[in-house]
This record gives sequence, structure tokens and C-alpha cells, in this order.
Amino acid sequence: MSTKEKSNDRKVYGLLAEYANPAKLMRAAKLSNRAGYKKYDAYSPFPIHGMDDAMGLKNSKLGWIVLSHGLVGFAGGLALQIWTSSIAYPINIGGKPFVNIPAFIPVTFELTILLSAFGAVFGMFFLNNMPKHYNTLFNSDKFARVTDDKFFICVEASDDMFSLEETEKFLRDAGATDVEVIYE
Amino acid sequence: MAKTKLIDSIEFPAEKSPLKAFVAVGAIGILLSLVGLVVNTEQFMYSYLTSFAFFISFALASLFLVMIHHITRSSWGITIRRIPETFSSQLWIYILLFIPILLGMNYLYAWTGDMGDRHPFYADLLDHKSPYLNTAFFIVRNIIYFAVWSFLGYKLYQYSIKMDETGDWGIDNAMRKISAPGILLFGFTVAFASFDWLMSLRFDWFSTMWGVYYFAMSFQALFAFLILIVFYLHSKGLLLNTVTKAHIGDMGGWMFGFTVFYAYIAFSQYFLIYYATIPEETLWFYVRFEDNWSIIAAFILFGRFIIPFIVLLGRPAKSNFKVLKFVTVLILVSHLIEVFWIVMPTLHADFKLHWIDIATFLGFAGIFLGLFFYQFSKNSMIPKNDPKLAESLNKH
Repeated sequence: MSTKEKSNDRKVYGLLAEYANPAKLMRAAKLSNRAGYKKYDAYSPFPIHGMDDAMGLKNSKLGWIVLSHGLVGFAGGLALQIWTSSIAYPINIGGKPFVNIPAFIPVTFELTILLSAFGAVFGMFFLNNMPKHYNTLFNSDKFARVTDDKFFICVEASDDMFSLEETEKFLRDAGATDVEVIYE
Repeated sequence: MAKTKLIDSIEFPAEKSPLKAFVAVGAIGILLSLVGLVVNTEQFMYSYLTSFAFFISFALASLFLVMIHHITRSSWGITIRRIPETFSSQLWIYILLFIPILLGMNYLYAWTGDMGDRHPFYADLLDHKSPYLNTAFFIVRNIIYFAVWSFLGYKLYQYSIKMDETGDWGIDNAMRKISAPGILLFGFTVAFASFDWLMSLRFDWFSTMWGVYYFAMSFQALFAFLILIVFYLHSKGLLLNTVTKAHIGDMGGWMFGFTVFYAYIAFSQYFLIYYATIPEETLWFYVRFEDNWSIIAAFILFGRFIIPFIVLLGRPAKSNFKVLKFVTVLILVSHLIEVFWIVMPTLHADFKLHWIDIATFLGFAGIFLGLFFYQFSKNSMIPKNDPKLAESLNKH
């Protein structure tokens, strides 16, 4: 291991493995998933099609967040209009009923969309742990190239299967060109 | 992961073609329709127009899908493109199928005759509208529509076949060059055609949204139809690895999107008329919400918006074959019923199904699907030399 002795008293965050190209990264992600690692992530300069399947990621929960917000918008929009135009301040408009559902639909629709959009944007921030100003992986100098031309997998030490020697061997066998220990 | 090679046979095997069944159904339908023509000409004309407007909507929506595909250089649907291409290549046949409507115009369109003992208001109104609504101009307009559609549909199909044969990728540019002005022409011609065929059934009524309404109906129903055709091909063991769950999921997504679009347009049209409450505008809906027509209207609302919207909302549902089978059939039935609901109240104050309705439907179904499978089996089922084919096959 190429790490310096003085780092030994610091807590290990995880192992960062470097891969040469997307295909190798995809293969390593697939192997990590099959080996049973849970707390690992793949990093690449661009999105790679099929990575979700390779990593065994489930569908995002975002849809449910958006749905719940949308339903609140729908119910709220309808309730707002029913209350204002038939309870709080009923006005006769062209002889139409006070609770005039067709006329309420545009506003109900808009509020459904508005709250759904809020749910989508802020739900996405929430699920991605954003905003996040610091990431332990920034401790690695090599990791800077993840925005350019290198591909990484980081297996976190908090994973139940994590062991410095075994995991490093595993990552190298999966085709890593370099494996580095990341400290907190 | 990569599956960039075609591993299915892309020729439609002759023994699997359902052509004979459709020829038989079509022949029975046409014979019954001819009996209907003699027995009850007026009912026949309305039934015929319903079936005509229903079936041509798929061909027209197909033409739009093919053109938008070329313009946007989409790759997702290359493997299913030959199906809408085949539909739209047959638009010229509707010239022949339109002749009965021209011959029976005076049964369908009140504006072709004199006003008789109707209120003088109608005579004045017709006089006012006569520069547009007259028989000669109607015929000229329809010749223009069919000329545009036939040319676009046939040309794009021929180009696609030519690329199959020669493998010349330059044809891709030629197709795009036709499609861009084609979309513009398509928008105008379809809007005016829907005014002429369906809206002018009552010349005292108008809706400026009618063109986009007919288009929205058609485009939603097209995806339901495409998905069912793909399921049919799969059931015959064809294109199983070429049109995959990913492609079907995309079509499910389009279908969902245009379910919302349809509802948006249909509601907007209703809402404007409802809110303004101008008597001559509300009359059209008044008739269609009377008696048991209101049940039909409610069925349309649930059948092609509320149920498909809720069922298809989740992502997995859009590529779940069982769910899709249910929703596509529901949407197609609702589409047929909606065309019926648009046309028939002009003739009948109450909803009732006449046997001639079924006869013309069977006749058209036989012609439409028979010709489709005839043409579809003549060439390969996918554009095999398309530059974006590999990308489409690799979709997941």
C-alpha cells in the first residue's frame, strides 16, 4: 500500500479504485454488486447508460415524493377555490353554480403542477444530499481527474463486507489500475 | 451489455401473415355495408364517415410520427419505424375511400342543400359561410389534403425502402428535407380536413381548437395501436430481440404523454365554450350531453383520460405488458366511441348502435389491416440499413 505511515492513526473512509475506461468501470460495478457490497459508488466524468442496472440500483423514490406533492397541490387548489367562491365569498357568475368544478380545473391543474415541480426539484436535492460542500474523496489528488478522463469506484469502510486487504484485492481483480486508501 | 447486432429475422414470414383473416372480415363488412347502403343510405353515410375518420386517424398520426422522427433524428424508435411508415405510405388509398363521402355529401352535410323550412337565421348564416362551405371548394380542398398526405407518406416510405436496398446514408438527409416542410403542411391540412369532415356536420357550430383536438385524439390512439401491433408480432415470435421492453416502454411513455395532451386539448375546447356560454357554441355539447349520450361522454372521459392517466402514472407500468394490453385496448375503444360521439348525434338524438355501424367498421378494419399486413410483409420489418439502427437496438 502506497500510503504514508503517519496516516495510520486516521480513520479509514474507504478504498478508491481507479479504472481506465467506462467498460471496465461498468464491469467492476457489476462485480461489486454481485459480491454483495452495499456502500459503494461509481464516479465518472459523464453518465453511463446501464450503470443503474450494473450497480443494482432500484428505481428512485423521487416519483413518490412528486406524487405526494402533486396530490397536495390538487386537493389544496380545489379546496382553496371551493372555500373562497362558495363559502367565504360566494359570487354569482353568469348563473353558474358556486362550486363550479370545470371552472376550478385550471387553477387546480396549475397548483398540482407547481407543487409537483417543487417536489421534484427539492426532492432531488434531498435525495442527492445536496447542497454538499465537501466530500471526503477530495482528499485524494487523483480523484480530481474524475471530471476529466478517469473512472472510479469507492467502497466505503462502513460497508459490512469491508476489509482493507480483501477489498483491495477484490478491486484490483476487478481491473483497477490503482487502489488508494482514503482517510477521513 | 452491448447487443448491437440484429439477431432476429426481419422478414415477415408469409405463413404467419393474418392477411386471409382480414380479407375475409373485410369482404363480409363490405358486403354488409353495401346492403346497408341500399337499405338505409343516410345511416350508411354516417356510419361510413365514422369508420373513415377512425381509421384514417391512425394513418395521419403515423405520418406525423415518421416526420417528427426524421426531423429530430431520433434513434429510439428506428426498430418500430417501419410500422407507422407502412400506415402512412397507404394514405393514397383513402382517396378511393373518400369517394363515397363525396357522393353522399348531401346526406352528411346540411350546408350542401337548401335550408327548406328551417329558420331564416340558417339561410343567412349559410350565405355568409358559403365562400368556404361550398361543394366545389370542398372537393378542391380534399384533393389538396390527399395529394399532400399521399406524397409525403409514399415518398418517405420509398426513401426508407431505398435505404434498405442501397445502404446509402445520404437518404437520411433527403428524408429530413421532406419532413420539415411536411410537418408544416401536415398541420394545416389535418386541421382543415377535420373542419371539413367532422366540424362542418353542423355548419352553425365552430371550434377553433377542432384541428388540434382531432390530431390529439389520433396521436394518442396511434401509440395504443402501435403497442398492440408489436404485441401481435411478439406473439408470433417476431422481433422479440429487436423491439424490446425498452422500446415498448418508450411508446408507453409517449402514450401517457399524449393522454395528458389529449385531455388538455379536449378540456380546453370544452372549457372555453362552457365558460363563455354563447348559445350557438354550447349547442354542440348540449346535444352530446343529452340523454344517454352523456353516458358515452363519461365513458370517453374515463376511458381515455382518467383510467389511463392513473394506471400509467408510475414508471414500471409503462413497460408492463399486461397493464399495457389493458390500457391500449381501452384507449382504442374510447377513440372509436369518441369519433362515434362526434359524428352520430347529428343523426340520432339518442345513442343507439346500428348494425351498419358494425358493417362499415368491419369493412374498414379488413381493408386497413389487410393492406397493412400485405405491405408490411413485402419488405423487411425494420429499416435495416438505417444509420441509427445500432443505437436503437442497443437501447435499454
